This record gives sequence, structure tokens and C-alpha cells, in this order.
Amino acid sequence: MDKILAKKDYSRWLEKLGSYRIFAPRKRDDVWNYEMVTAPDAERLEDVMTAVPAKGIVFPQREPFFEFAETDDGTRITEILPEGEPVVVFGVRPCEGRAVTLTDDVFGGEFEDHYYWKRRNATTLVGLSCGAPPSPNCFCLSVGGSPHSKEGLDLLLTDLGKTYYAEALTKKGEKLVLEGQKLFTAPGPEDRKAVDKIQAASRKKIRRELSRIENVPAKLRGMFDSPFWDDESMSCIRCGICTYLCPTCHCFDMADEVETSTPLLGKRVRTWDTCQFPDFTMHSSGHNPRPDKASRLRQRINHKFQYFVEVWQKYQCTGCGRCISLCPVGIDIIQVVEKVRDHGA
Amino acid sequence: MGHNVYLPKPAKILEIKEEVGGVRPIKTFRTSFVDGAAFSYRCGQCAMLSVFGKGEVMISISSSPLDKDYLQFSILKTGRVTTALHEMEAGDIIGIRGPYGNGFPLEEWKGKQILFAGGGIGLAPLWGLVHMTLGQREDYGPLTLVYGARTSQDIVFRGELDDLKKKMTVHLSVDVAESGWNEFVGFVAQNVLDKKPSPQNSIAITCGPPIMIKTVIKALKDLNFEDGQIYTTVENKMKCGIGKCGRCNIGRHYVCKDGPVYSWAELKKLPQEY
Repeated sequence: MDKILAKKDYSRWLEKLGSYRIFAPRKRDDVWNYEMVTAPDAERLEDVMTAVPAKGIVFPQREPFFEFAETDDGTRITEILPEGEPVVVFGVRPCEGRAVTLTDDVFGGEFEDHYYWKRRNATTLVGLSCGAPPSPNCFCLSVGGSPHSKEGLDLLLTDLGKTYYAEALTKKGEKLVLEGQKLFTAPGPEDRKAVDKIQAASRKKIRRELSRIENVPAKLRGMFDSPFWDDESMSCIRCGICTYLCPTCHCFDMADEVETSTPLLGKRVRTWDTCQFPDFTMHSSGHNPRPDKASRLRQRINHKFQYFVEVWQKYQCTGCGRCISLCPVGIDIIQVVEKVRDHGA
Repeated sequence: MGHNVYLPKPAKILEIKEEVGGVRPIKTFRTSFVDGAAFSYRCGQCAMLSVFGKGEVMISISSSPLDKDYLQFSILKTGRVTTALHEMEAGDIIGIRGPYGNGFPLEEWKGKQILFAGGGIGLAPLWGLVHMTLGQREDYGPLTLVYGARTSQDIVFRGELDDLKKKMTVHLSVDVAESGWNEFVGFVAQNVLDKKPSPQNSIAITCGPPIMIKTVIKALKDLNFEDGQIYTTVENKMKCGIGKCGRCNIGRHYVCKDGPVYSWAELKKLPQEY
């Protein structure tokens, strides 16, 4: 279902979505992030790359799983499932839509993660196709994506200057258009042409490329014990930014937060975690299978470009460039993977 | 949606047995679910135990699926949760979820002679298997256990090992000579070489500290065991137990879900990162 929405009607559309919690990119202290917005202050959709990806809306950084309590009747465990209120996220980059399809794989399968799916099923992702790359480090084309990829999105908007071209991609996306249906009009043939023109042009504006990576998974298999990883990880300060802000990274910790100890009352809580921290893999004996920065950088690259490919037949990277732009010491995943590709050549 | 995979079920500690004292104490816990529910599992699988307020720890199940009345875990006191477990008493409540992991491919081993080679607390994951094969004795060939510990005081299941000697071949060892010890002195791998088990129609399963596993595998190779005849169990730090939290992987494998049991033929193909 393709429709046209005048930009001046964008905020009126949001007013119609009163039954949803609405998230959109907002700037605070010079940093863009998805924040909950109220309809009246949303004037337009911002064409930006947020620092924290939209993954946090379906997979929050901190999530209580259950409460445990010692009572006179024994130990009581009370599940704390999210309510699953309807959520719309506006301005999702196509690379983030693709990333959600990867976390769907991880949190689905034999052991379905109820916390993730309760939120995920209630979330409608409204993508904004990239007229120009929102980051100088965008490289979506190199990892199978594009500035106007539809994967994982429910609705894709393309900015045509005075209007948005809206493509509803799923039932959830159609529902969103129907909520404000009087505001939408049918597109003319010239509108589709304009979209095609913008999309063709936007592909050419992407400045970074990670080419010829088909052999990288095989290359990585042969480089496990290479001193290459020592050299590449030398500058790492193990802050974990590359993984926390990655839209595809899903690693987490589970820990008990105690509110009172007698009688015992507390919660088991999931929080984001990262393979870049030394204690991520450290056994209680002190043995650590990944004891140094080299083995931890290798794990990050291998997971994204070898292990995930072996399991799911796709890269665990959608080319958003956050780990490059936000790394405090300039470790650049494109350069690292290019060196892997060219290693021993 | 099915049941919530992260929710543990309350279980009562029925009985605690002190196996080993000293600075590296080991205790065996027998538990059963408060609601009386059954727990179906395979030999070699693990369960995630909760001490509420402390957290969770993945522990191999040391009872056998033939034991219907309890789930048994033999636990070395080493970290936050295992320390808390060691402070608990019979009647206390823990949480259990699982079972997790692949377990031993017992169906493929029928008709074969089986060598168990364990060191220290590494006898725990083998213990259920020993009892399962003994309980279905007619399905397997000769059974042999080679087990060693640092000293005689570090031997787990001490009393039960004496009983076991009446039912199968048991070779014990301690690392260094001590008075009153009249069995083998040396490491488990040396004891395996000394006893020269035949690889003919055999399966060997080894479990223990990483260095012991490596040396036992080498010993078995020296005795002409094929890679596919040698099995081991791997452990890594775990949180979720279901292949999502990302920390126990060896290459593409999550040990919690795809392991912990590997043949050496499989394990040698993975990155040696465990």
C-alpha cells in the first residue's frame, strides 16, 4: 500500500496515534537519540543517525525478569513481563530495520525470549529512507543493505521535499496509515519516479565501502592464531562502545538486585553486556578463554563476519558505522575487515 | 508463547553430603521441585541453579535419569553462587531451570566398551553416565573408570567408589604419593597409559580440568583411539543457558546449547578457545 502524506500533516498524523507510545529522534546536549515524544512537539521527521540504536526500544538496556521474595509461605517468584503496549518508532534507519531481523533470529528459535517478543510484537517500525547518508561512516551497501532497504520495517517513508512517500510493508504498517487515513492521498506516477530517482542518487552518496568480503568468513577461520589481532587491538581501551551501540549486538548479563535481605526481596535483571569486557568470559576459577584485548577484538569481528554467517548465512553487521564513528580510539571495522580480506594475499 | 525460559522453578534441597573438605570443598546436593514436578533430562545435560539474591550457576546433573526421586548436583565451592550454595542447609529453597545442552549420545554407544576418565570434580558430569550405563548393563560392553584427584582427601563419591568396584573396573590415582595409598600415583593421563585400555569397539569419555582433558586426549591418541571415539564435556562461563547471552561460545557453538558434550573429532575443528 503506497500513499502520500504532506509534511505539514505529519504532526496531525501523530495526533491520530494516541493509542501508541511514539519514539522519534530527538537532540539533547548535541546528541541524537530516540526519545518518547508527544504529538504536538513533533514537527517533522529528523534525518539523522542516533547514537543509541532503536534496538533499545525492543531490547532495553535494563530489564527486570522476575521478582523473588521470601514469604511465610516459602519462596515466591513473580514474573515481570512487559505489558506490550503499542509502540511506534519513527525515523528508523533502514540499516536498523535490517538489524532487528537479526536480533529476531537470536531471540527466537527453540528458546523464545518472551521479554523481547512481547515488546517486538507490539512495536511498529517506521523507516525513513536515507536521501543522503546520515553518517560519514555508513557502508550498508557493502553488507547487503541499502539506504532504502525495507527489511524489518513496517512502513518506509521517503522524503520527497514537501511530502513523504509512504510504503506500508506489513499489516502493522497499514494499520498506522489507516489511523490517519484522511491525511493520506494516492500517489501519482511522478511520485514513484521521484522516489526511484532519490533512491538511485542516495546509493551513490555513500562514502565508505567494504568490498569483496565474500571470502572473509573463510579468511577468518584461518587467522584465529594470527598476531594480527594483537596489532589491531593495541589501541582498544575496552570501553565496549562498539558493542553497546551496535544495533545487532545482543549480548547480555543477568544479575540479582537485592532490595532487602531479611526477608529477602529482589529482582533478577537483564542488562546489556559486552564481549569487550575481560570478565565477560572469566570463569570463577580465574581461567579466562579470552584473556586479552586481541582475543576480544577477534571475537567481535569473528562473531559478525564468521560465526553468525555460519549459523544464519548472513553478516551480523548492517553497516551503520556507529562502532567507527563512536570508538574513542579510532578502531575502524571497515579497515580491520579489509586487512583480514587482504591478509596473506 | 510457551513457558518463560528465564523463570526458575523452586526446588527444595533434600540432602547435602560433604564430599571433600579443606580449601576446595565439594558438596553433593539432592533436590526436588517444590511442586513435585518431574524433570526429564539426558545424561550429560546441565541445569541452571539459582540462589535467589546471589544469581545463577550452570551445573552438570550428577544423578542419572534412572533416579526418579531427586536431581543431584556435586558442586565445588569456587564463586559467588557456589559459595552461597555451600552455606545452605537441607530444607532450603533454590531455583532450577533447564535441562540444557546436548547430553551424551548413549544410543550410539550401545554394545561398546566404555572408559570413563575423570579428574577432581570432573567426576560429577560422568557420575550420572556411570550409573546410567550400570543401570542398563546389558546394553554395553565392559565399563572402566579411571579417576584421580590431587590427594586422597580430594576424591569425590569416596564411599560410593568402593561399592562401584564390585560392579565395574575402577582405577584410582592421586597426584603425589601419600602414606596408606596403595593405588596408582600420578596424573590421570599417566594412569590411562598405564592401564592401556583397548580402543577396540570402545568409547572413552574424559572430564576434568582443562589440562587434564588435554593430556588424557593425548594419552588416548597414543593408545590408538580415533578422534570420534573420544568424548569430553566443555565448560565456559554462562548466564542464559539458551544460546542468547553470547559468552560461552567456542566459534559458532554455544556450549550451553550446542555442547557441553563434544567428540574430539568435533571439538578439534572448533577454535581452541575454552
